[in-house]
Amino acid sequence: MNTRKPPALAVAGTAALVAGSLSPWATFAGYPGKMSLGGFPGGARLFCLLLATGAVLFVLDLGGRRRAALAVGIGAAAVVAVNFAGLMDHGGGIGSVAWGAWLSLAGAGLLTAAAWRLPAGTPAPKEWPVLPVAVEVAAVAAAVLALLGAVVWGLRINESSRFVSFLVFVAFVSVAVHHLGVFEALGVLFARRQRIALVLGGAAAVAFPFTQQGNAYWIRVFASIGVFAVAAIGLNVVVGLAGLLDLGYVAFFGVGAYVGALLSNAALTTVHFHVPFLFVVLLGGCVAAVFGLVIGTPTLRLRGDYLAIVTLGFGEIFRITANNWDGLTRGPNGISGIPDLAAAGFDFGESHALFGVTLPGFANYYFVELVLIAGAILVFTRLNDSRIGRAWVAIREDEVAAAASGIDTIRLKLMAFAIGAFLAGCAGTVNAHVTTQVSPDSYTFLESILLVAAVVLGGMGTVPGALLGSTMLFVLPEKLRSFQDKRLLLFGAALILVMRFRPEGLVPSKRRRRELRERAPEGVPGLPGASGAPPGSPVAG
Amino acid sequence: MRQFLQQLVNGTVLGATYGLIALGYTMVYGIIQLINFAHGEVFMVGAFGGLTVYRYWLPDSLASNVWVALPAVLIGAIAVAVGVAVVMERLAYRPLRNAPRLAPLITAIGVSIFLQEAVRLFYPGGKRQQAFPQMISSGTFDVGGVTVPWVSVFVVVVAVALMVGLQVFVKTTKTGKAMRATSQDPESAKLIGIDVDRVIVVTFVLGAALAAVAGVMQGMRFAQIDFRIGFLAGLKAFTAAVLGGIGNIKGAVLGGFLLGIVEALATQYVPHGSSWKDVWAFVVLIGVLVVRPGGLLGERVATRA
Repeated sequence: MNTRKPPALAVAGTAALVAGSLSPWATFAGYPGKMSLGGFPGGARLFCLLLATGAVLFVLDLGGRRRAALAVGIGAAAVVAVNFAGLMDHGGGIGSVAWGAWLSLAGAGLLTAAAWRLPAGTPAPKEWPVLPVAVEVAAVAAAVLALLGAVVWGLRINESSRFVSFLVFVAFVSVAVHHLGVFEALGVLFARRQRIALVLGGAAAVAFPFTQQGNAYWIRVFASIGVFAVAAIGLNVVVGLAGLLDLGYVAFFGVGAYVGALLSNAALTTVHFHVPFLFVVLLGGCVAAVFGLVIGTPTLRLRGDYLAIVTLGFGEIFRITANNWDGLTRGPNGISGIPDLAAAGFDFGESHALFGVTLPGFANYYFVELVLIAGAILVFTRLNDSRIGRAWVAIREDEVAAAASGIDTIRLKLMAFAIGAFLAGCAGTVNAHVTTQVSPDSYTFLESILLVAAVVLGGMGTVPGALLGSTMLFVLPEKLRSFQDKRLLLFGAALILVMRFRPEGLVPSKRRRRELRERAPEGVPGLPGASGAPPGSPVAG
Repeated sequence: MRQFLQQLVNGTVLGATYGLIALGYTMVYGIIQLINFAHGEVFMVGAFGGLTVYRYWLPDSLASNVWVALPAVLIGAIAVAVGVAVVMERLAYRPLRNAPRLAPLITAIGVSIFLQEAVRLFYPGGKRQQAFPQMISSGTFDVGGVTVPWVSVFVVVVAVALMVGLQVFVKTTKTGKAMRATSQDPESAKLIGIDVDRVIVVTFVLGAALAAVAGVMQGMRFAQIDFRIGFLAGLKAFTAAVLGGIGNIKGAVLGGFLLGIVEALATQYVPHGSSWKDVWAFVVLIGVLVVRPGGLLGERVATRA
């Protein structure tokens, strides 16, 4: 690792960026982050200041540093640009932007130009040496802490404009770090120290409610995410591993929720029969799995896209049935007033104090969900690493070839379907208690699409992908309330763009990344455009 | 008996719309094996295109003349729908031609949501129901005790004419021949000099034009449209295409009429039929796939993944 003299352009750019970040950005008071004050890096200016530390890339000769430095420069410019828009919107016109913002913009531009002129240099190393255990564990712990820190930090930001700046900041830092090969290295590290990584990740998840200082809002949101995440992992078994697109998956979730609600002793339940909650969870999962088998048996003999439509139809049938079967589901009103869980004298709705932090009632559900997520992860990973998982991959890649090599494709597809439904059903029973009511309009086609999107955006076939995807899809709308009306529009566009530019998702499975990135050779059966159209396809009557 | 005949007529009119939309699904599927999930939205956008022409471009003096207004509305609808379909094919589907088949399907869902939301957010008053002009008199006539609105006659006549026209086009023209060749074997079609990309675009254009006409029909029959009409109509039309045998033009027409009639009769004769109105299509779909997965006129469905 050589150190060099930094180019003058970079020095000037960094100086301007730092000076700009410490200077006022607004000519009027009231913009979030005390932007009219000088000598104080409040609001989005802090992100620019932090990005300025990326200037060390001009001194250290790291692999992939050119692209990383470019990401830093463009990122800083993007943060300033976001705030330009916000300032002009707030204060009215370009006059409301103070000189500090202009200086920062100039600095970011200079940094970008300096990065552009860097030599392409060596690419980031692919192989990383095995380091002492303590160092590796420390690295894993640092990564987990950084993630937790970023989440907690982001959630504390209340203003929309500042949160968008934060998102831009995180996105560009991630790109920069990615180009330095850090994520690749962490992936290897996490795989090598899997147990410790799991324990630390779990610990971070448990620690999350304690970071909220008794504030219930985000714990409540995360209690919703937890249920969703279990369902997303279940859907990932179906979509990610077995390659079966299920567009009515939320119906299984709904089946579980209705089972949970009906057996909950709620005043409005139509079934007066109460069993311990643990059994209810399993029962909800089993009922959903039975539904999965019923819907899967006739359709899994067919090609995948028929399945997508039939599952969609099934989802609609479920919703309409729940809407019309007054005797069991109470129709459109649904079942409300579902009581909190209680086990051995412990009321899940009450808040508790632990280590001097008050944990609101939702934290209890959050912890229950963590257990459920852990179970779902166990099921997912053990299946994925087993003979069954390999058979699923074979089916996903080429069903005919899989059948020819002795795989009982229908049985295995049914199994994937039933396991996915089971996990959704379990999640649904918990959800009934978290939301305290179930009604048919909670289980629409759009919810199914949200689940599919969580899996696809996060990365098909990986657990972190499903978790990340469901967290993003829940937290972003909560945070970006000023965009709420355009949420679905952006979401549709995001689906198109992700499929176009990063079809493997944010956290891709290695296998899927390879298969999506390398073009299939011509003439391979099973790909559209390859030779051999199916009989029945000619456009003729 | 009279009630039965009445529902038969209602079902036929309903089926004409389903059939027209189903043709778009079936042609696209026949050529690139893609369930164009956004096709229902093309239908919806077409209806809005027609509405736009009537509301903003047609001078009042001409709007009352059905011989001017109706063609103008139809042309506007077709132009908008075709434009959307071509852009959609170019930007969303063509880059994914060689991707695993899950990818274009998810893209199609994205396109569908995007189009719905675009209309809802950016069309003036798009969040509410929009009144659709009634260009044909709302009068009816009686045949043997069955009431038939004039609009229905228009719908069925135009739909059948278009269906026959499409069949003739595919059977006799050079482009039609190229379409059939491409659907049988795109690789060989390329080898004998067929511009496969062009054929695919033509397929999307034809499907979009038919869907746009269906959109105008829907607007005229129900006197109102909104951004949501594409979803259910698209699903039912897809069911119709599968019912008739996907990839098969005659099948789509037959499936459309059959599904429309089944829906009308079930709504009438099944207890509480109207609250289950939207279920029948799916019941039929699942039933067909269990009993005869290739559809009524289709051949055996390949097990190609």
